[in-house]
Amino acid sequence: MTVLLELDAVSKSYGATEVLRPTSLEVKDGEFLTILGPSGSGKTTILRLVGGFARPTAGRIRFDGADVTNVPTHKRPFNTVFQDYALFPHMNVARNVGYGLMLRRRPKREIENRVAETLEVVGLSGMLDRYPSQLSGGQRQRVALARALVCDPRLILLDEPLAALDAGLRRQMQLFLKSLQRQVRTTFLFVTHDQEEATTMSDRIVVMNVGHIEQIGTPRDIYYAPASRFVAEFFGDNNILGGTISDGRLQCALGAFPAPPALVEGSAALAAIRPEKVRLGTAAEPADIVFTAAVIDVVFAGAITQVLLRPNASPEAIITAKLTSGAAIGSLAPDASVEVRIAREDAVILPAASP
Amino acid sequence: MATRGERIFDIFLWLLAGLVFVVLYAPVAISALFSIVEVRRGDILWETATLEWYARLWQNQSIMDAIRLTLVVGATSVVLSAMLAVALALYVTREDALGRRFIELAVYLPFLLPPIVTGLALLMFFSQVGVSRGAVAVIIGHGAFVLAVIYRLVVTRLQSLPASLVEASSDLGATRWQTFRHVLWPQIAPAVVTGSILALALSFDETLITSFLAGNEMTLPIRLWAMMRVGFTPEINALVTVVLLVSIALTIVIGLRLRAGGRE
Amino acid sequence: MSPRLARIGLFVAAASAPVVFVLVPIAAFLIMSFWRVETSQLVPDMTVANYAAFFASDTYPRVFIETLQLCAIVAVIGVALGYPIAYLIWRQHGRLRYVLLLLFAIPLFMSYIVKIYTMRSILGLQGFLNQGLVTLGILDQPSLLFIYNRLAILLTMAVIFLPFAILPIYLSLERIPRSLVHASADLGGAPLASFRYVILPLSAPGTIVGALFVFVLALGDFITPQMVGGPSGFTIGRVIWSQFGLAFNWPFGAAMASLLLLVAFVVISLAALIARRQRV
Ligand SMILES: Nc1ncnc2c1ncn2[C@@H]1O[C@H](COP(=O)(O)OP(=O)(O)OP(=O)(O)O)[C@@H](O)[C@H]1O
Ligand SMILES: [Mg+2]
Repeated sequence: MTVLLELDAVSKSYGATEVLRPTSLEVKDGEFLTILGPSGSGKTTILRLVGGFARPTAGRIRFDGADVTNVPTHKRPFNTVFQDYALFPHMNVARNVGYGLMLRRRPKREIENRVAETLEVVGLSGMLDRYPSQLSGGQRQRVALARALVCDPRLILLDEPLAALDAGLRRQMQLFLKSLQRQVRTTFLFVTHDQEEATTMSDRIVVMNVGHIEQIGTPRDIYYAPASRFVAEFFGDNNILGGTISDGRLQCALGAFPAPPALVEGSAALAAIRPEKVRLGTAAEPADIVFTAAVIDVVFAGAITQVLLRPNASPEAIITAKLTSGAAIGSLAPDASVEVRIAREDAVILPAASP
Repeated sequence: MATRGERIFDIFLWLLAGLVFVVLYAPVAISALFSIVEVRRGDILWETATLEWYARLWQNQSIMDAIRLTLVVGATSVVLSAMLAVALALYVTREDALGRRFIELAVYLPFLLPPIVTGLALLMFFSQVGVSRGAVAVIIGHGAFVLAVIYRLVVTRLQSLPASLVEASSDLGATRWQTFRHVLWPQIAPAVVTGSILALALSFDETLITSFLAGNEMTLPIRLWAMMRVGFTPEINALVTVVLLVSIALTIVIGLRLRAGGRE
Repeated sequence: MSPRLARIGLFVAAASAPVVFVLVPIAAFLIMSFWRVETSQLVPDMTVANYAAFFASDTYPRVFIETLQLCAIVAVIGVALGYPIAYLIWRQHGRLRYVLLLLFAIPLFMSYIVKIYTMRSILGLQGFLNQGLVTLGILDQPSLLFIYNRLAILLTMAVIFLPFAILPIYLSLERIPRSLVHASADLGGAPLASFRYVILPLSAPGTIVGALFVFVLALGDFITPQMVGGPSGFTIGRVIWSQFGLAFNWPFGAAMASLLLLVAFVVISLAALIARRQRV
């Protein structure tokens, strides 16, 4: 796939505070790329720079090979879906959606047809004459989407477009957006702070942390191979165990895990272990580390049951296990002593300090 | 990046704003100028520059009387209006208030109607009920005029408070008065103060309503109006300069308070 | 006391001051417009003679219409100058925006009477305007073109009431969410197009309200015409005022003021309606 949008060492400062460190990023043609990060990490800032609502302090932005760093917003060939939708309150749905075409001086006929088509795509036909104030949140959302789609942009920027919707509608819109993106074959640059949303929708995810990128990769890469402690903790749950590297292994209170050669002997490091990789009482494999722990709590959450454990060897480290619910687990009582197993290769070993 | 057309348009806007600024601030500039130097046939005689007129101001009895009356009228009418405004705002924001729109209409009318109508109406009313022109009539007139401003700020503040505030207080066993004194008042006091400063600024400058009600007791604007017919002396220009500077200071205070209030 | 009675009692207490000091006087003056004057005495009556005299006269209705025209022009000037300035202020950011706003709000509170005086010294025969025009060679000698006539009233009122137009226009601009302007640009709207299709329609109601506000203010002003209008610059306000001085005909003055009130009331209601309809 070719590169559609390229950020080349782009940074942004407000006064003395650098809210975005020099950042490089490539968005490929046709992909669904999500920028994920906690509040204040600079997600919106990136989108504003791409959209042209703010100018980078340094660096270049290229679209389809052409430098657009200083091109004004209205001449950039992509469209935005705003977090608050930003529908024009004095225009009805038809005029809102047709706005971009009207500005391009398309014939009236064509505008009408395109607007009707696009509204059909987003599932809103027959609402042409409504004003935004007469629409529900989800409907407004779709109008905003239609308005951005109608001009056939090659890239659409979406800033937390689902944040204002309730949980049910939100899930429905996630699936809809994903299938829409496949259908119209437009590149989506999507912003969210919801890790689950990012996982289910994206081809690739950019994880951000206060003003810089921590990791870029497919949801799978990021889930199974987090590149830093921040990613390991922010992206899904992880048990974190601290230790030191010696003999090419991470030594910690519960045992030793093989470490990648890049980690320096004697340096502090940590093991990140997914809760679902923690097993209780099953048959031991040769590669397992095994330890006994006391059950602190058993939390039933439907298909999954979470068990909080305190290892006898290291009472301050609390380990969470996520297990498929069943009678055996249901009968676990607090303070019961259990045998815990973790496969050595299931631990991701990371340097303790961020690079 | 701005195109060339936008930049030209911008320059045009700034020029226009500059021009309007000069015209709007001409009163200060001209009064200050005339209070310091003599101007004859449009020529400024710089050699006559003196601050003497500012010193003489204090010896002019009629001006001092007018200033005193203006202050008395301003203070009295604002205090009365503020109390009434708070009472009305408290009433109107009650759950069981009757005739809310009726009361608000009466409160806002004197502010919205042309002052000539308000002034006339009060003059005729007073003449029928036996209140003669003078300080009392002017105080009532100003009070009716500035009530709307204080009321507006207080009621907006009250409406922005969560209803649970009052409920929590009475839930804790406070009487109505205690609730007002310890819960509501601290919340609305800034609005009352801002409104009162605004009202004071309006009262100091009120001319049209006052002209119907003042009779022989002249507030400063009325005195200035009377003097204007014979032409201003440098002394009066000195006075006007002082008045303008005071009103500018008042406006800045109001502006800062409104901004601080809006940030809350 | 029953709760119902208590409720009514409280209402009466609350409404008493506004009623006594606002509504009763307005009613009193409407009533007095039906009285008459006999040998310098007010006589209660129920006559429409005052209104009849007004409409029968060949000067007063004309003055009234001319006053409405004058005030409309003042309002239009207020918007024509006020809109660009409010727009300029709105376009700025942070402190500069606030300082500009304050600078254009301060004149609201500058002495009204002093403004008239200053305008007179600017527009007068020896004034700065004439002086400037002569110096620039546009005029051969100072002219009375700008003082003691309708033009003088117009210019003076325009200057006095301009800040009253700027503020409501600015407030209506400020209510427009920035994201709408961004959205317009995002969809391909050049600045001029965004202005035409988004900013202007959304600020129009506030702008009209500002214009109506200025109109009402100008309508009731009688000191400006008196001080700079000279013998030819009569407005209805000035005519009403004179009924309370030399002419001493309060009922006739009240009748004319009632007509003024009627116009003002219509205009204010219109403004309130527009303000309520505003979509943003
Ligand atoms: N105009 C501005 N002036 C100063 N600082 C700003 C400005 N805009 C954003 N910032 C700062 O930049 C940082 C990043 O902001 P940004 O809006 O990009 O965060 P975000 O990742 O989108 O967060 P959220 O999830 O809360 O939307 C924040 O610390 C914010 O305070
Ligand atoms: Mg954001």
